[in-house]
Amino acid sequence: MVFLLGFLARRLLQGAAIIGLVSFAVFALLRVIPGDPVRLMLGPMTPDYVVEQTARQLGLRDPLLLQYLRYMKGVMKGELGRSFTKAPSGEAVGGNLDLNRGERAKVFDLIAGTLPLTFQLAGLALVFAIIIAVPLGLLGGLHADRWPDSLALYVASVFVSVPNFWLGIMLALIFTAQLGWIPSIGYNGFVYTVLPALVIAVEIAPIVIRSLTVSVAATMQQPFVEIALLRGLSRRQVIISHVLRNSAVPVLNLFGVQLGTLLGGVLIVEYIFSYPGLGFLTVQSVLQRDFPTIQAIAMVTTSVFVLINLLVDLISAYVDRRLDY
Amino acid sequence: MSTTSPTDATSASLATAKERSAARRMWAVASSYTQFRIGLTIFVILAIVTIVWPLLSSASATKLMIADRAMPPIFLGGRWDHILGTDQLGRDLLLRSLIGLQNSIAIALAAVILMFVIGSVIGMIAGFFGGWLDIILMRLTDAQLSIPLIILAITILTVSRPTPAGVILVLALSGWPTYSRVTRSITLSERRKEYVRGAQILGASSFRIMLLMAQLILPPIAFVAVLDVARMMIYEAILGFIGIGVQPPIPSFGNVMADGRKYLINAWWIATMPGVLLFTSLLSINLMGASLERARNRLYKGTI
Amino acid sequence: MTAATPVLDVRHLSVDVIRGGDIRPVLTDVSFTLGERQILGVVGESGSGKSVLARAVMGSVIAPLRHRSGSVFYRGSDLLTLPPQGIHEVRGRKIGYIAADPGNSFDPTLPVGQQLVEKLRAVQPRCSHSAAVDQVLSLLESVHIPSARMRFHEFPFQYSGGMLQRAMIVDALLAEPDVVIADNITQSLDVTIAAQVVRLLRELRDRFRSAILYIANSLPVACEIADEIAVLSGGRLVEQEPSDILIRQPRAEYTKRLVQSIPRIWEVREPPRDLASDARPILTVRGVHKTYFVNDRSRLFHRQAVRAVQGVQFEIFPKENFGLVGESGCGKSTLSRLLSWIETPDRGTILFEGADIKSMSGRQRLAMRRRFQLLLQDPFAAIPPHVPIGRTIEEPLRIHYTLGRSVRQNLVLDVMREVGLSVADYERLPVGLSAGQRQRVNIARALILQPKLLILDETLSSLDQAEQGRLLELFDQLQHQYGLTYVFISHDLSLVRKVCTRVAVMYLGKIVELGANPTIFFQPNHPYTRAMLSAVPTLEAKPFNSAECLLEGEPPSPINLPIGCGFAPRCPVAVRRCSERTPELQSVAGGTAAACLVAQHGGSIGDAVYAATRHR
Repeated sequence: MVFLLGFLARRLLQGAAIIGLVSFAVFALLRVIPGDPVRLMLGPMTPDYVVEQTARQLGLRDPLLLQYLRYMKGVMKGELGRSFTKAPSGEAVGGNLDLNRGERAKVFDLIAGTLPLTFQLAGLALVFAIIIAVPLGLLGGLHADRWPDSLALYVASVFVSVPNFWLGIMLALIFTAQLGWIPSIGYNGFVYTVLPALVIAVEIAPIVIRSLTVSVAATMQQPFVEIALLRGLSRRQVIISHVLRNSAVPVLNLFGVQLGTLLGGVLIVEYIFSYPGLGFLTVQSVLQRDFPTIQAIAMVTTSVFVLINLLVDLISAYVDRRLDY
Repeated sequence: MSTTSPTDATSASLATAKERSAARRMWAVASSYTQFRIGLTIFVILAIVTIVWPLLSSASATKLMIADRAMPPIFLGGRWDHILGTDQLGRDLLLRSLIGLQNSIAIALAAVILMFVIGSVIGMIAGFFGGWLDIILMRLTDAQLSIPLIILAITILTVSRPTPAGVILVLALSGWPTYSRVTRSITLSERRKEYVRGAQILGASSFRIMLLMAQLILPPIAFVAVLDVARMMIYEAILGFIGIGVQPPIPSFGNVMADGRKYLINAWWIATMPGVLLFTSLLSINLMGASLERARNRLYKGTI
Repeated sequence: MTAATPVLDVRHLSVDVIRGGDIRPVLTDVSFTLGERQILGVVGESGSGKSVLARAVMGSVIAPLRHRSGSVFYRGSDLLTLPPQGIHEVRGRKIGYIAADPGNSFDPTLPVGQQLVEKLRAVQPRCSHSAAVDQVLSLLESVHIPSARMRFHEFPFQYSGGMLQRAMIVDALLAEPDVVIADNITQSLDVTIAAQVVRLLRELRDRFRSAILYIANSLPVACEIADEIAVLSGGRLVEQEPSDILIRQPRAEYTKRLVQSIPRIWEVREPPRDLASDARPILTVRGVHKTYFVNDRSRLFHRQAVRAVQGVQFEIFPKENFGLVGESGCGKSTLSRLLSWIETPDRGTILFEGADIKSMSGRQRLAMRRRFQLLLQDPFAAIPPHVPIGRTIEEPLRIHYTLGRSVRQNLVLDVMREVGLSVADYERLPVGLSAGQRQRVNIARALILQPKLLILDETLSSLDQAEQGRLLELFDQLQHQYGLTYVFISHDLSLVRKVCTRVAVMYLGKIVELGANPTIFFQPNHPYTRAMLSAVPTLEAKPFNSAECLLEGEPPSPINLPIGCGFAPRCPVAVRRCSERTPELQSVAGGTAAACLVAQHGGSIGDAVYAATRHR
């Protein structure tokens, strides 16, 4: 138990370091790229001295490190800043001489409004992926080199060859535009999550299928499986109580690594379906040079990564006690 | 604790096993799978078409021919000289897609080579030396891993007009951590094997030993890298689709389909036909790759 | 010992194996019976079909095996033709199974106790959970697993090999079967632990009234427990007799050869030739210590010290054969790594030809590596699998010298001829070579630099008798030709007896006894040496009464070492002083040097043991 706490402490510390590193990198990168956000905010017609004044007011002309530290101090207090370009209603506000900054939305609100929707999407996608991938992978592994294995291989190959944005367009075209069975563009209820989730599921299912078939087939080869049958356990019991557990660890590890892919997929899918989640917000913010929002999103996503990787390691160590923390 | 008992049965069967090299056996088994053959057929056809068609066709991928704009593909009543139809500016879709395919493969290949080299070198060094070097390199890997490709791409490629070199760099940066992790874990387990100890006893330097291990470790990973070419082609298309990949007028799957998004209702083929071509080419690569992977697993299991 | 109706009746059993389109017979016309409460030993070398027989007797003949003809009757029903329901009644319930490798017999991700309970409830569905737990705990205690309650919740990797095998025995006996199949159960265990397991099995047989089919690799192992022995060769049952008759008057040719070829420990008269000439040692080890640190999982940032080697001291003289024996955990492997300087000792010095290795420069050390080499155990893993063997053998030349290509090639061919490899194999990959041939590649690679000292770390352990013999001849010849010195690190006492001039015995990181070959074997002074020698399965009479020397329990872990003599907790003659003072290796009357307070203070150990057991 004590060791567990030590492990958690170490990982959280490392996680904080990673978050710090990434957020600083993003921070610096944003300040370096051309395309002055202030000008974007105020409009192209604004005289230079107004731009300079505003910039200095916003603190954008101070040294990099100072800006960063000031920002992090705010983060500690829960203050993520205000968007450069969005109003609370969600509309983009730019090119407006009227610099009433009270009108700009709080980044925290922006993120708080979109993050739950993205979790919903990712969650549903994961459920779909498991429904598709686990039976195929399991059967493929149990009957290695026979038809279930081939089926798993075909399905995995087809799914992995489908470009996700193309599939999204196709599905929206067919099921929403032509057939009218299920709405998908925008968001007006849970059902709008279904098609986007399906697209993401198709993207992550193949790697789970492949990994599971290999893992299950490898476990079946282990001596203790045959010996369990000789000791008197039924085949069904061996598969359910033993093979599944032993095959799980490599697949779990996969989740940690594939998180990046998942997030990328979420981003594209939200963009295509205009689904108002964090991904959509990200694309908009980058195209509009909305620094505070981009910064905050980078930190949020990195934190989610760190936490999920931590969770995966903990669950793996619980399933297979031999793994050292 | 355990003492290996005489395994004469095993050694006898090894001695009588065919002398053909393992790689050749693997290819023989893989090519016997139906999946492999389907994939190979598609691949060959596509390869021929990609090389030959642009030379034969009178159409141009980049010249605008407004008169011909938005023509539907052949199965919807179009003409034979525009089999997949034309886009909103009259450019032949098949031609644009094929050239897009060439560009796509070139970029993906370059990216995969780059990420393979970077990732495996870092992974081997981390796995071999261990200790502080390992910790630092792995934290670096984790940090890179936690920046999703999209965010990285968007951040870097909006610095200036995205060039193919920039796209290759971004793809490679997003991909090397996986290679470094896998190489590291294989290196860690190989390192404990006796032949490494044997080499150390002989007095071989670390560099020499790593070279020795590399010959054994890298081929299976290089093998997975081939499949990654397909994955990178999709990412390159995604980047093009959002507008930060290869820029027009150079055709790439992404930007061709992005253009077509606006015409989805009237001329839906602009956005979808190139996708069919991409899907087919990827399917061929993946079918072959998956068959090879299965054959390789059987090789290591000892059933072939 | 025949019973009215045998429990197991195997009649004309023939089984084939199908591999890659070929059909080969594995068992041909095997017939025998097993009576109530009888112990039948089945002896066969590898490849004789023993494990297939074990499976067939459980009714498990599945792909790639195929049943050709014959039957296996258990109390009248043929197991090979029973429907699945019938098999389910028998397997695990009426016929129990103990596997050969305990380390791989349990699911590594679940606690051992839980798996035992699972098995019990699977074969006796009406057993409740709490009743099952009680039954498991009581059996765990009867097999002498200490702190059974705590062990119940632990995972397989937390058990030692001996304990895991006991757990497997519990597993087999849980449903109180009529028959127990013991499939080569002592193969992967140390000699003293194996002796304990066999003794346990004999105890339990009386309590549980089961018949035992005891499958073994070698005759001496089977003779330890079996009343009657059947000999299996090439899939056929060659002979079946009561044990003592089989040994003294074997009838079949194969059996006669088998009995002849068993290596003798005590009946060998002539001592090995002693070629040691110089008085100056070639290798000197003084006060060497090595400790490893592992994470302590019970405390936060603490690490535990594993004292692998503690204060080892000895000298090796040119042209002698020095043997180092001990069981798992004694520190042999660590010592071999230290001797070959892959790892450095924390304390102490190692001198090679008088020069201290630690104070050598990199260049000098590289030069030293030309002078002595280490040969490892596993012939399949010690040479890189993807490099042609010519290149592997050439590698040392490339590392140490700059020579022209043809010069190198000639040297390689020369040494290949010397070790008995065909020069036509120069470009071959290791994959097609036998274990013996690969080991020769190892030897060639070590010899090409013309070393003076060779350390052989279990080098011959994975080879069969015949191959071992051939390689030993090679070593002998090379020794004569080049004046080599050998250090044999091995657990195989008969090998050491045959070859080594002096022997050192290790226990828990220390050398507990050191002496000349005949003295160590015939008049050992340290109680541990006696115990180890007593536990070796053999057909011969031992020079001292082994029944009194057998050990209880397991060696303590090198993490929590007791103060004083490390062997004291298990020692039959220990006195209170033994747990207070640590004995040093000192010469003792009787010729060896022993680290034992009792031995050092007069009286032979033999008498002490006798006295101690009388008072028990």
